Amino acid sequence: MKIKVIISIAAVIAGLAAGFYFFRPHTFHGTVIQSPEPSYDFTLTGANGDVSLSDFRGKLVLIYFGYTFCPDICPATLANVGQALNQIGAKAEDVQLIMVSLDPERDTPEKLAEFVGHFHPSFIGITGTKEEIDTVASLYGIFYQVNQGSDATKYLIDHTATLLVIDREGYLKLVFPFGVTAQEIADDLKYMIRQ
Amino acid sequence: MNKYLLNGLYGLLGFIVISAFAFKVFQPIKVLPRIQIAPAFQLTDQDNETLISEDLRGQFTLYTFTYTNCPAPCYNLNETIKEVQSRLDEVQLEGIPVAFVSISVDPTRDTPEALGAYAEAIGADTDVWTFATTENQSMLKTIVGTGFETYYEKKDDGSFALDPTFVLVDGWGIIRAEYRYTTEVSSADRILRHLGVLAEEVRNSKGTTKLAYEAAHLFLCYAP
Repeated sequence: MKIKVIISIAAVIAGLAAGFYFFRPHTFHGTVIQSPEPSYDFTLTGANGDVSLSDFRGKLVLIYFGYTFCPDICPATLANVGQALNQIGAKAEDVQLIMVSLDPERDTPEKLAEFVGHFHPSFIGITGTKEEIDTVASLYGIFYQVNQGSDATKYLIDHTATLLVIDREGYLKLVFPFGVTAQEIADDLKYMIRQ
Repeated sequence: MNKYLLNGLYGLLGFIVISAFAFKVFQPIKVLPRIQIAPAFQLTDQDNETLISEDLRGQFTLYTFTYTNCPAPCYNLNETIKEVQSRLDEVQLEGIPVAFVSISVDPTRDTPEALGAYAEAIGADTDVWTFATTENQSMLKTIVGTGFETYYEKKDDGSFALDPTFVLVDGWGIIRAEYRYTTEVSSADRILRHLGVLAEEVRNSKGTTKLAYEAAHLFLCYAP
């Protein structure tokens, strides 16, 4: 009788351990936002014409603010997203990255398309007037300012380097800090694709 | 199926259901919702210095929207800020600074000099309480109207239709609480309680306790 009780208790403990492992809530690598309203919609210009955030309802949209002359953090972040999409495989079709240029003076839609295409063929780069970009950047919490650069770059742009994820219904869901790895992005995107 | 395995399975399912139910009902941890990203901005303050949103990272910031010619409602907002500031020692903030920012919606009249004179007149401690605005009316509307969702409009007599509002933003630049139409000084109690809730979350946002806090967000265990 004692053995049966011990085995039952052991089975419950083993079950609990397995249950916690398999049913544990997903731990996001970014900050989860529970916004009651859809994210600010905008329309800017890409190489193939106007692009609106709302064009991508039904997909997960990653929004990144950067510029093509960006020497380090923009290429690093875009490379990580590109790797993450490669890890996700076929389901990457459910994800769209949009880079919003913070440098409308130098970043034409064509230059943007060429730049983002180096990191993943699905990436889209968009730009607009300074006023349009100021509005979109502000409402997504992105501060930026122009600073002096080298002779080659003329000027650089300091900017908030977060990566934002908009869910399929158009709500801001996740904010990744700069430095998030490709694996971490892939983990969170896979979870959101399954939902 | 083996009887012992079945017992284990029943135990597991029962435990998970009871735990989730108990967490939802008793809400052992309270949090404030992560409502939205606060807008980024560049403003000019009462000392003619630039105030950018990034300067406020790492601290809790309580925003209000005002103008120096504003009658009673703004006075009440100011009194609430003063009360919150004077009672901050009642909250365990763990060294996290609290900043107060009043954004003027009337940049035409509210020059840095006017903002400075106003701050002095109401007895504001400008070490922690900043008065700022921008001459770019379009961006001001974007920041205050769309970003902080606070309606304002200039009337023919030069005054403003303005919703008295407080917005509490955390150290990551995320809006965590909004207090609308509450012009009574007593709302300082609620703001102070919320500052304590935020500080406690920051203190526990490491390791396994972080999981419990994320569960509290998941189950919408929001502080009243």
